[in-house]
Amino acid sequence: MRKNRIVLVAFLALATLMVFGAGYGYGAPAKKIRIAMLMASTIDDMAWSQSMYEGLKAVQKEMGADKLEFVTSERMGNPVDAGAAIRQYADQGFDIIIAHGAQYQSVLMELAPDFPKTTFAYGTGFTTAPNIFAYDPQAQEGAYLLGMVAALMSKTGVVGIVGPVESGDAIKYNYGFQQGVAAGNPNVKVRIAYTGSFGDIVGAGELAKVHMDAKADVLTGSSQQAVGAARAVAERSGVYWMSTDMDQASLAPDHVLAAQVYHWEKVVKDMINYRAQGILGGKHLTLTFADGTLELRFNPKLTNKIPKAVLDRVEKAKQDIISGKLKVELPKAGGK
Amino acid sequence: MKKRTGTSDSLLQAGVLVGALVLALLVGAGLILLARANPITAYKAMFTGPVSGKYGITESLVKATPLLLVGLGIVISFRSGILNIGGEGQMVAGSLAGAAVALAFPSWPAIVLLPMTLIAGVLAGALWGGIAGWLKARLSVNEILSTVMLNQIAFQLNLYLIRGPMIDPQEVAYGTGCPQTALLPRSIWLPRIIRGTRFHWGLVIAIAFAILVYIFLWRTTIGYRMRASGAGPQAAKAAGIRVENYQILAMAFAGGFAGLAGIVEVLGVHHRVLEGLSGGYGFSGIVVALFGRLHPLGCIPASILFGALTLGADMMQRAVQIPAAIVMAIQGLVVLFVVGSDLLIRRPDLLRSRRMSGGSAGVAGKQGMARQGKGVSN
Amino acid sequence: MATISSQGIIVGILATGIRLAAPFLYASLGEMFAQRSGVFNLGLEGIMMMGAFAGFMTSLGTGSPWLGVLAAIGVGAALGLLMAFISVTMQAEQGISGIGLHMFCWGLSGLLFRVYLGFITSCKGFGPWNIPVLSKIPFLGPVLFQHNWMVYFSLLLVPVSWFVLYRTTWGLKVRAVGTTPQAADTLGVNVNAIRYQCVVLGGAMAGLAGAFLTVGQANMYADNITAGRGFIAVALVYFGRWSPVGILLGSLLFSMMNALQLWIQVLGISFPYEFAVILPYVMTIAALAVAVRRVWAPTALGKPFRREAG
Repeated sequence: MRKNRIVLVAFLALATLMVFGAGYGYGAPAKKIRIAMLMASTIDDMAWSQSMYEGLKAVQKEMGADKLEFVTSERMGNPVDAGAAIRQYADQGFDIIIAHGAQYQSVLMELAPDFPKTTFAYGTGFTTAPNIFAYDPQAQEGAYLLGMVAALMSKTGVVGIVGPVESGDAIKYNYGFQQGVAAGNPNVKVRIAYTGSFGDIVGAGELAKVHMDAKADVLTGSSQQAVGAARAVAERSGVYWMSTDMDQASLAPDHVLAAQVYHWEKVVKDMINYRAQGILGGKHLTLTFADGTLELRFNPKLTNKIPKAVLDRVEKAKQDIISGKLKVELPKAGGK
Repeated sequence: MKKRTGTSDSLLQAGVLVGALVLALLVGAGLILLARANPITAYKAMFTGPVSGKYGITESLVKATPLLLVGLGIVISFRSGILNIGGEGQMVAGSLAGAAVALAFPSWPAIVLLPMTLIAGVLAGALWGGIAGWLKARLSVNEILSTVMLNQIAFQLNLYLIRGPMIDPQEVAYGTGCPQTALLPRSIWLPRIIRGTRFHWGLVIAIAFAILVYIFLWRTTIGYRMRASGAGPQAAKAAGIRVENYQILAMAFAGGFAGLAGIVEVLGVHHRVLEGLSGGYGFSGIVVALFGRLHPLGCIPASILFGALTLGADMMQRAVQIPAAIVMAIQGLVVLFVVGSDLLIRRPDLLRSRRMSGGSAGVAGKQGMARQGKGVSN
Repeated sequence: MATISSQGIIVGILATGIRLAAPFLYASLGEMFAQRSGVFNLGLEGIMMMGAFAGFMTSLGTGSPWLGVLAAIGVGAALGLLMAFISVTMQAEQGISGIGLHMFCWGLSGLLFRVYLGFITSCKGFGPWNIPVLSKIPFLGPVLFQHNWMVYFSLLLVPVSWFVLYRTTWGLKVRAVGTTPQAADTLGVNVNAIRYQCVVLGGAMAGLAGAFLTVGQANMYADNITAGRGFIAVALVYFGRWSPVGILLGSLLFSMMNALQLWIQVLGISFPYEFAVILPYVMTIAALAVAVRRVWAPTALGKPFRREAG
């Protein structure tokens, strides 16, 4: 009799497991998720676009290529071409279409109602729709921390920002960086200059050189042209570079002090999970330090150059940002 | 002006054009192989895509609209002897001016606001082109120099305006700062011809203008004088035509059409001014004008074909996942081959001449010139 | 806090300006020869891109920026040959074929970059070569004599081009072919051959200009690294009225304005930066408009040569 009871219990346990398992998708084979990503630049730009591409690759690696398929469409800066691409992907039944750039908001808002079963996503953005997610890296958080490091590490007291154009997450980044510098050392001067385009890497390099000629010894900058500036920094000794979007240390291993890294994996997984629950959009997904989607990464090669006191201060600031005690301001209406 | 050609000549001409396209695509196939993709699958996607279903055809027509408008302007300027490469900047100027008007008076009735917006776009583009024309006529500043500079100036002014004074208040409120204007009043949006697609009435406007341009160039005195200025400036001057003034006018027309293309794109597709609106149309329009044999009516099929070609190339890129750079390379190849074979299209007799060796001008000249007198003008 | 002196600022602007002028000098001087012979090449931007790419990849692969320069010259010359064939032999409309060449080269460089490399990295470039003694002169030293050899060479090409154009027989033929091709032809000059030579030369120099951007300036390559410089170079030929000295002045004016706007921004002088960025373009037009003179252009510019019945 005892043997039968054991068998019964085992059978019941197994049955329960199977019921719950089916609920979690273990029972039925999972449908392959198809994601399409559009971008204005290319997947190898070592900045904004590549960081999202790397994120998608990471998610695919984790889930398995049989569960997640993704395709990319590059050089879609022209809004007409982008619209055509998005429409085609939607027609082809892609589950999630990521239009990676703030400028795609307009075209998505227009297209989304025509494809109510598709999830669209874009960023940096705020406005959402029932089937549009807006992702929004809080670049000012990491910028603040990088600014602190810059101020504390600068010997000349002059720090330079190489800006593309004032839009998207460049605005948040520059503003946060300046606040961080002020918090680190109010006597340090921050200078900003812009090249006027997102893609002129030679121009960014020249701007970096001018910064350095004007005595700046820590530089930073965003967007894909920043690699030009990082490279220019690498040509001089005694100058450091703070990178954002991605860890650009491979470009200038002796000069990149720290990086704010965007971890898009969680954002992508969130979207997939929301979809599984029937939520196709409507959420404003932020990247912050609090949930690990933003990471402050120090270059291991150079950490011995940074005094412990500096590292401690930065760590404390980071914890304060995470806990909400420290709020990094965003620019007001029309602010610079 | 054009020499009459017999039917066998016309067949040869068509054959050469087709041959040029085929050669371009063959080289393109080599590039596709280089990108480790299958050219057959790729081309299949490229050719079937733009004509399959509601989506393909309508998107081709959407792309054709600005191409046609810019192309018409180029036809006018080219026929008058001046090459307008400032189309990009003129489109931007037109889109900005039109948007500014529309955003300034949103409550006005569409019957007034729409024409005003369109006219603002045309005038702004005409002004932008006219500056280059005036600089050339009065101060001898070469138009290639001025239009290249003016393009850059227009881009930066555009960025300044849509990031600053003309930025969408929503973007400011949310702190996302995307460079774009607010949505234009819904009342003046160009309605969609087919619901669920982006195909809008702009194309009809463009085709109407194509017919008007044809009438203008071939049936009016001004048009005749402009064509005379282009075909033979010396002779025209001798006949008392003020060539320089007509060249200013030509640049203004070219700019006006590009400006119209810009505001039509805004009203029909985007409904606001964004970055990248000019999307290379300023240059592609030149190619379309060439494909259309510099005839306004020829620009109609040329713009649709080129639009379909570009769309097809994009679709191909997505289908076989090759780098987007290939699209640009194939477009360039098509232009090179078609433009390179232009001589054979104009002078099909050269193909029949047994004495022609490698197309060298000197030899062909002896035979052809004797039959034809002076060379055919562009 | 470290500050920069006003002399430091002026030196900085001038030195930056001279460095920025180099790619324009190379490309414009080459284009000048082509246009002097009657052919204008709007595809210069594309050739620069391919030159930049070839220089970068070769330097990356072999570790020698010198080989990179050679590769860029070779690629540029080959593309020049293509342009010559289309414009001279096939007598195509030069403006449009130039744009086609630009599109093709842009696409090709992007494709090859992705296929053969696929990620952004840096290559070996040329470091500054301070000219002994001269580089120590206060003020003039840092401005003129602390650049890399490619900058010096670009400046050297100005008098060299002047000499070739005005003091050699070949230069005379080039000028003849561009103004009165019919007359030159009757005198036995092979018009098309001269045009070929000039366009190939122009292509080679555009390739060199592109190589400067990668191995002489940025030490890396990315899509659209030329960012419109090729078109500006063509415009500068018109600005300089087809003379090497004029082109030098034009390149310097444009580049100095560019350097000025960079410094204005960096020094924090409050100015909408978009206006700073357009400063060089506006100044170039203004300079030309103000210098009112009857412009002389190679008369046969843009017109394919067809031998007329005698």
